[in-house]
Amino acid sequence: MKIHQFLTSFSFGDAIGNEALEIQHFLRNQGNESEIFSFIYPPRASNKVINYLEYDRYSDPDNILVFHFSIGSPVTDKFLTVPDRKVIIYHNITPHEFYIDYHRVLAKDCYNGRLELKRLVDNVDFALGDSEYNELELKEAGFTRTGVLPLVMDFDKFNCGIVPVLKELFMDGKTNILYVGRIIPNKKVEDIVKVFYLYQKYFNPGARLFIVGDYRGFERYHAALIDLVTRLNLKNIHFTGHIPGDELISYFKLSHLYLHMSEHEGFCAPIPESFYLNIPVVAFNAAAVKETMNNGGVLVNRKDFLQVAALMDRVITDPVLKDSILRTQHAALEKYRLNRTGKILMDYLSKL
Amino acid sequence: MPDEKSQSPEPFITVNNSINVDEIMSAIQNRIREKKGEGLLIQSEIDEVSDMELLPIPDFLEIPNVYEPILYPSSKVTKKEFKKFEITLENENGSGLRGLIKKILGIIRKIFFPLVRFMTRPLYNELKQFTTDRYNANAYELYLLEDYKRLVDESKEYIKLMHNTTNNLIVEISKLKIDQEMMKTKMKVLEDKIEFVENRERAIEKKMFTPSDSTLIGQQAIPIDK
Repeated sequence: MKIHQFLTSFSFGDAIGNEALEIQHFLRNQGNESEIFSFIYPPRASNKVINYLEYDRYSDPDNILVFHFSIGSPVTDKFLTVPDRKVIIYHNITPHEFYIDYHRVLAKDCYNGRLELKRLVDNVDFALGDSEYNELELKEAGFTRTGVLPLVMDFDKFNCGIVPVLKELFMDGKTNILYVGRIIPNKKVEDIVKVFYLYQKYFNPGARLFIVGDYRGFERYHAALIDLVTRLNLKNIHFTGHIPGDELISYFKLSHLYLHMSEHEGFCAPIPESFYLNIPVVAFNAAAVKETMNNGGVLVNRKDFLQVAALMDRVITDPVLKDSILRTQHAALEKYRLNRTGKILMDYLSKL
Repeated sequence: MPDEKSQSPEPFITVNNSINVDEIMSAIQNRIREKKGEGLLIQSEIDEVSDMELLPIPDFLEIPNVYEPILYPSSKVTKKEFKKFEITLENENGSGLRGLIKKILGIIRKIFFPLVRFMTRPLYNELKQFTTDRYNANAYELYLLEDYKRLVDESKEYIKLMHNTTNNLIVEISKLKIDQEMMKTKMKVLEDKIEFVENRERAIEKKMFTPSDSTLIGQQAIPIDK
């Protein structure tokens, strides 16, 4: 069978890009032909990704075309015009209001994305959400054949050592707090900074915060965060920017707690990744986060920064509580094992 | 946000049933109370931090155009109406005794009209000449003003151009100001990165060159110095 994938944007380290690669890997292992087509992709991905405009050469009514839908783009028009059997995987679209103050173009694309989603309603054979939250949005949009496909995750990539230099620099007895994700307004990185400020000031002066993620395109938001850090006179915060995979894994492994205060998530891949790496997770309950946590970790229902800071201190300093949390996280992780997700995907595709 | 906190019946945290939420919450509250008791925790500061807003660098598109309403008045500005110069002429007609007297005097004036015209001829001619001169003077002034009109039209265009230039300059300067702010942030980020790279460099050196290596390097350096 030929099962190809459409993306608006492919980048290494991005959850959707990673998932597309994982799906491709899984499908090829199952003996299928599978290529990835994208509108935007970095030059170094040109051996893995093909420009979506070239899809006509591959298009066939017997093919299955899987579209990772997350934003408005010209890819939707192309997707609608090809004769292939069509499936979308809906990764959710960030509400455009979050971007208005920082990125007008992206705000427009997100707004258009929701309109484009409605155009897809009667034109796809199957619509999958990567969480129940996303599936609910698909149903609300009018899709009838829907399902849930948990984000395909291959945790084997985490089975490597810490980059020696980072180990030398950061494995020094200090408590490391971690956030992983793009530096964009809906992630509410400013709330992480505020919680960390209170944690460092009142509970653990030697603490350190890693903010690991790309901020390109959101320089104004990044600048506002830097300004906040300066106003708070906060030390030991590391904005790493975009980093290679081995360093990302190292930051995970060097951290003692994963903190997430985002107000909109369609899935949130770093949470199961932290689960896998035995890092206790404290995350704010918004959008699909609760579902992603799958009854593991600690879910914060209100943004009371001092209480969150005290909670972090408790989780880090109480080994019994930490162990209990890690046990719940380990149990929650079962949902995301690659084989299971791959099987679900194949089950959906076989129904077409 | 704090108001919502106090009103919401939802527990502060949600965890797996195997974990005792109350125990965690009581430990958290005790820890906060403990800090408050030590006088370390200042509520006003916590509130201030919680309420701190991000201050994004302004978007240049939001710069208001302050010149346009002054230079190009909108339709809301009302123009004064044109008023003709008017003289009041005495009413020749009338009613009653006054009217009758006026009529009689009118008849007498008609009798003497040739004489009156003869007597006022020089004045009439003078008035006629004055009016003609005044008309010509005004016409000449209008003729000269034609040149000025062209000048005024040109000036108006120049003012428009100046306004556009000023507006563009403000936009460009604002963009430069934003760029400057961005550059400051980038500089700060670069400084942090350089510091981090320096730390990395030291860590690598520490890993690569053990104390025995440095002794060896020192020993090798001796003959070169000699």
